Amino acid sequence: MKIKIAPSTKSGSHHWLMQKVSAVALIPLIIWLVLSFIQISQDPQEYFPAFFAYPINAIMGILLITASLYHGSIGMRVIIEDYISNKTKMHFYIMLSNFLSIATAVAAVVAIIRLHLIG
Amino acid sequence: MSKEKNQIKKAPTSPHLQIYRWNVSSLTSIFHRLTGVALYFSVIAISWYIIFFTYQINTGDISESCDCPMTVIMNFIFAAAGIAILFSLFFHFCNGIRHLFWDIGKGFEKETATTNGILVIILSFLLTAITIGTVLYFKYT
Repeated sequence: MKIKIAPSTKSGSHHWLMQKVSAVALIPLIIWLVLSFIQISQDPQEYFPAFFAYPINAIMGILLITASLYHGSIGMRVIIEDYISNKTKMHFYIMLSNFLSIATAVAAVVAIIRLHLIG
Repeated sequence: MSKEKNQIKKAPTSPHLQIYRWNVSSLTSIFHRLTGVALYFSVIAISWYIIFFTYQINTGDISESCDCPMTVIMNFIFAAAGIAILFSLFFHFCNGIRHLFWDIGKGFEKETATTNGILVIILSFLLTAITIGTVLYFKYT
């Protein structure tokens, strides 16, 4: 009896490594996020509009959005590969999550640059 | 015949959540995935909130000081969602560091893994409490 192997997207080891690299990069970014959250929550209407005017915040914000969405899209890909066995559906959902991640990342980076320039 | 063939072709679906006995390792592993998915959609939602804010697209001002029931309910829902996201973030953060230690080959012993797992759960609750406490402390002093 011949056993057919489960569908694979044939890119496991590269994504595994990139997931770890982005995880390491996210450690300092998350610490910055929590500290910024505590600062902004003191008075959101006062602090938030001017927050990205500081270069360090704009840089860390852009790095956080891109790194977290990259990390997240790899994670979603792994989960979709695990739970959806229909190959066509699997590729469709992976593509959908990638499009969603990339569109969000690009739009957020443009928005942060705008807030940085006008802030 | 054709039915048999279909059954052979069917890929095995991984983690069967119902049939295993619960322990710390499986609990943290499952919650790592769940919080990961929750955080992915949270990041997307918060990003689009920032984008709409930047271009002054009105998403309904929830921070207005008004005692109308809808505002009170929405404020409560947003606060609850915020705390849930914060807890997910800290849990995923702590357990992610645990995963990175596993990747360099440390902490694989059964007792160590269980102890670390309990530590991760306690630490994520503690960090959530500290953060909320700090926010409330600054707000009301």
